[in-house]
Amino acid sequence: MIPFNHNDRNSGFATIFRFASTLSASLALSVSASAEESVDFAREVRPILARHCFACHGPDQAQRKAELRLDTKEGAFGDLGGYAPVVAGKVDDSEIIARIVSEDADEVMPPGGPEKRLKPEEVATLKRWIAQGAPWKNHWAFEPPVKAALPTVKSPEKAKSPIDRFVLARLESAGLTLNPEADKATLIRRVSLDLTGLPPTPEQVAEFMSDTAPDAYERLVERLLASPGYGERWARMWLDLARFADTKGYEKDRSRPMWRYRDWVIAAFNRDLTYDRFTLEQLAGDLLPESTPEQRLATAFHRNTLTNEEGGTDDEEFRSIAVKDRVDTTAQVWMGLTFGCAKCHSHKYDPISTTDYYRFYAYFNQTADADRGDEFPTETFPTPEQSAELKRLYDEIASVESGLASGPPRRETFDKIKTLRDRYNAIEAACRTPVFKELAADKRRMTKIHKRGNFLDPGDTVTAGTPESFPGLAAGQPDDRRAVAAWLFDPSNPLTSRVAVNRHWAAFFGTGLVATQEDFGSQGEPPSHPELLDHLAISFREANYSLKALCRMIVTSATYRQSSKASADLLAKDPANRLLGRFPRARLEAEMIRDASLRVAGLLSPRMFGPSVMPYQPEGIWRSTYNTDKWITSPGEDKHRRGLYTFIKRTSPYPAMITLDAPSREFCTIRRITTNTPLQALVTLNDTVYVEAAQALARRMIRETDATDVKARIARGLKLALVREPKPDELEALAALYADRLAAYRSDATAANAMATEPLGPVPAGIDTAELAALTNVANVILNLDEFLTKP
Amino acid sequence: MTPFEELHAETVLNKTRRHFFGQIGVSLGSIALADLLARDGLGRLNAAEPVNPFAPRPPMIPAKAKHVIYLHMAGSPSQLDLFDDKPELRKFDGKECPKELLEGKRFAFIKGVPKMLGSPYKFEKHGQSGTELSQLWKYLPGVIDKFAVLKTVKTDQFNHAPAQLYLHTGTNLFGGASMGAWATYGLGSENTDLPGFIVLTSGGKTPDAGKSVWGSGFLPSVFQGVQCRSEGDPVLFLANPKGMDQAGRRRTLDTLKALNDRQATELGDPETVTRIAQYELAYRMQLTAPEVMDISREPKEILEMYGAVPGFVPDSDAAADPRTAYKATDATFANNCLLARRLVESGVRFVQLFDWGWDHHGASPGEDIVNTLPIKVGQIDKAITALVNDLDQRGLLDETLIVWGGEFGRTPMAQNSPNQFAPGRDHHPYAFTMMMAGGGIKGGQTIGKTDDIGYYPVERPLDVRDVQATILTLLGLDPYRLIYPYQGLEQRLIGVEGKGKVPDGLIG
Repeated sequence: MIPFNHNDRNSGFATIFRFASTLSASLALSVSASAEESVDFAREVRPILARHCFACHGPDQAQRKAELRLDTKEGAFGDLGGYAPVVAGKVDDSEIIARIVSEDADEVMPPGGPEKRLKPEEVATLKRWIAQGAPWKNHWAFEPPVKAALPTVKSPEKAKSPIDRFVLARLESAGLTLNPEADKATLIRRVSLDLTGLPPTPEQVAEFMSDTAPDAYERLVERLLASPGYGERWARMWLDLARFADTKGYEKDRSRPMWRYRDWVIAAFNRDLTYDRFTLEQLAGDLLPESTPEQRLATAFHRNTLTNEEGGTDDEEFRSIAVKDRVDTTAQVWMGLTFGCAKCHSHKYDPISTTDYYRFYAYFNQTADADRGDEFPTETFPTPEQSAELKRLYDEIASVESGLASGPPRRETFDKIKTLRDRYNAIEAACRTPVFKELAADKRRMTKIHKRGNFLDPGDTVTAGTPESFPGLAAGQPDDRRAVAAWLFDPSNPLTSRVAVNRHWAAFFGTGLVATQEDFGSQGEPPSHPELLDHLAISFREANYSLKALCRMIVTSATYRQSSKASADLLAKDPANRLLGRFPRARLEAEMIRDASLRVAGLLSPRMFGPSVMPYQPEGIWRSTYNTDKWITSPGEDKHRRGLYTFIKRTSPYPAMITLDAPSREFCTIRRITTNTPLQALVTLNDTVYVEAAQALARRMIRETDATDVKARIARGLKLALVREPKPDELEALAALYADRLAAYRSDATAANAMATEPLGPVPAGIDTAELAALTNVANVILNLDEFLTKP
Repeated sequence: MTPFEELHAETVLNKTRRHFFGQIGVSLGSIALADLLARDGLGRLNAAEPVNPFAPRPPMIPAKAKHVIYLHMAGSPSQLDLFDDKPELRKFDGKECPKELLEGKRFAFIKGVPKMLGSPYKFEKHGQSGTELSQLWKYLPGVIDKFAVLKTVKTDQFNHAPAQLYLHTGTNLFGGASMGAWATYGLGSENTDLPGFIVLTSGGKTPDAGKSVWGSGFLPSVFQGVQCRSEGDPVLFLANPKGMDQAGRRRTLDTLKALNDRQATELGDPETVTRIAQYELAYRMQLTAPEVMDISREPKEILEMYGAVPGFVPDSDAAADPRTAYKATDATFANNCLLARRLVESGVRFVQLFDWGWDHHGASPGEDIVNTLPIKVGQIDKAITALVNDLDQRGLLDETLIVWGGEFGRTPMAQNSPNQFAPGRDHHPYAFTMMMAGGGIKGGQTIGKTDDIGYYPVERPLDVRDVQATILTLLGLDPYRLIYPYQGLEQRLIGVEGKGKVPDGLIG
């Protein structure tokens, strides 16, 4: 067990070298030998051992039975006094097989009755593996990525990028191939949604459609990557990981200004801050020499943890919960590892001991924050506009005060000063953001293990360090949070780059190459395309961790550009689309549904940044304990801002978003699980947000159509929503609906007026109310079409 | 692959089994629910069948209850003034608390050496069981023989939000799945036109830990509790927009369906078929839910039995601090109890009522045991009693488990805040009272005994884990095998370490 051997901690490069040779040897083997015959240890055998054996014979020393561990080569092949669990090449001499197939209730493994027994095919796999010489390999994700040669494929002309070669190789071996490229309308809608979270505007569509150059698509991608919407879309993804919200959580759940951090994330994506710097600044921006305000603001990432202001709480209890959250979140976000369970006991499946946990915890245990109601330490980060306003107020206060010094004291003058000062303080408070600040040298905390996770039950004292089983820190690193960032991006770290590219892959394709984005450990899924994952991981590193470069790599591939049409053959051979023989359609994310509806309706505000806003929300949703904050619908265009600017109150999150699978942001969410429910249908049919969008779309359909022909209007609406040209039968169906509804509204003027105007406002001059109401019904259908709610 | 691995693999593929078959029906969309549910290794469902997330599913073990009505008194009522009579404590009323009870203990608000607080209320034995109840209960004595009273429940948490999370989601941290989510995940519901897990609140506030106490945590969001409301839409976004009647909605949905059918045929994506079905289900919910939720359809005698008042809006809702304006005549909780019965009658699996305002420290107006506690009991006493009787007379009590309790108990010592307003008690996690009735519970018994001042259990200590285990067991879900792999652990309502058992004799 090379990487788990403690003596090897400081010889990372030697380790990599040995891994690399093992891996390429095995790759060569798997290419030359038939997949039917040769058992792949990492993919087939190790998962069986992990699932059935590691809980008692794995990394957790406290739980280990019979002093036997099967997660290490030494353990699996070790002499147990004349016999061994595994004897290479000799199935009959291997004790694990004897125990697994035993009919003796006292002997059989695993214990626990028939439900726990291995399936016959699992036993067969183990036997074949032993018969083939029992080759042993470390868990795949703990080996460094290796850039494999591009596989030879039958149809190389279908490949536009290295990605496609890896995808094609697997498809072809299953008798499949890539779908043809999607049409241009589909492509621009797909790539716009993916890169900017927004459907394209008619102008963007026209520009792309009329561009007949061979690289029209590539240039479209560049325009989208350069557009401000790019940062907003990817910030949304990151904010789930950062558990960003506008309140502190727990009982009182008061507001706190975190929006400056949200804006930092948007800006960081837009200027393509490289992933290593993006990481360093969020984990340790405050510790950088001569840190800038922006770098200190970035550390609010880990100040998104909850603060418990409930009366009678022990602040140290909730401080330690916050620090644990930071440890768990860091491991999940950057390394795809489930550290969390090691806070109480050593991990049962992955090599993370309780000592490892608290050594890592020690890095995060030296910040000054302490679950205080005032969120100390904070720093004010005024926007340029706020800075100007603060300066103006400051000068005005100074000027009024100097007037006071020269003349007799007057009540109005004092009042004026107070008003100005209040205004000044309010602006400052609105941008005063919790940040990381390291404790002074003489105030540093001693870190002790929390026995069984209980902060009141301290165990041994530990010093800061990275988990022993992973390649260690390079020499010369500072002994603080900067070391964590350095360790994550050390060339020997096998996980960071893989986890990042996998997350991006999942954002485009719905499912990661490693489907369990949150778990790259031995309980997670093995990658569907291991060589592709490694290729991307290394390419990302070679591109200096540019996230825009990573996006570009993915969206310019033929795999991404293919049609999503699923033929019966494809559905039969690859129902779950793991081989990617078609582009996977996916329902839009909660925020995207909002943004797309508002944009198509022409309502979406382009305003970026600033304090979170309050769009329409039903009455009576906010009833938090000891908190009298009110939801007051934002005035003007602020109620039509993009979804990521919606105020998130943790104990009472925005209902429409939650219904559409957005998280409550109380904890780090690596992956949203998409569901399909009737309550979601009710949101897009009836929520005021979507009713207003339908009203606005109907008006737009009239406004942007020359003729008064209703089919022309409907065609305009469909084109705006779906980008493609509408089909005659679609127009027929919607025109028939229109006629029926028009008749109904002609006989009910009150209903017509309500449908056309509440909440959007009076019917514009020259438009017939009943017609507008009927067209609003049509728009309501358009905004609920499966095609509209789905990335094509 | 084992079934376990297979289902896990399917889950993470973010696809349904329906992708194989494209059958029409209601599915969970992106989750292979059948596979998820096969996790217990019993293969309770044929994984090849399309799955409605709320379709009824066979239990893992023989079930005694089909439904749960969980009545949570948020803030935590005083067991010492309602159930656990302590004459010794009355003797020591006003005396300083012995040091040994304070050593090594953490309290939320008590500082220094507090004084003991005997209950100002008289207790009497009631029913054939001779169960002791405080004089504050006027109606409950009539049905007390239906209840098992658990006097020694212990929790690990002594602050509201973490304790509510611990009780309802199995962990004091955010991210766990609530018991209603577990129940519907494991069993579905019996009425697919309504959400399977419905939450009703009263007392003017949502519980301290917020909506996470009925959240789905790591389970798919479809299993989160749906909060139904007495004002506005009973279910959020249920009502059509103004200017659209139900006929108009039907007409728009017909067109939507025609266009979506076309899309399904063209692209062959089974998810489109699922979406079509969800819109139809939404339409049926629009028809069903308002009817089920309309308690004014109940006869007068039933309304009176509960003390329910259709359309009641309490004045206290308008107060800055609703507790200061509570009245015993507040019908909100009664309305919710009646609604709970209607929901259960309609087949809803899990109904949870949260009544806020039970945190009686006595440190400020509206939260003490002399003035506020009688008002709060007045709001719930008649309604709970009616709920038991009403379910019983309909033959539903046997299949409906009723659970009543707070997130912890209250101290035998008086709180001693500098500005103490009236007698009150601090948070007490070591022993508190909960009640259970119906759904397989053996009523007419008291389980557990506390010491002379009600501080610790002296007989049959119980734990919140036992309550969780009992609820799942009665529903036919094995608390040890109802699992969901998340963060490298097999997550369970009773905790990964696997504590919790059904107390002996609790089930009849």
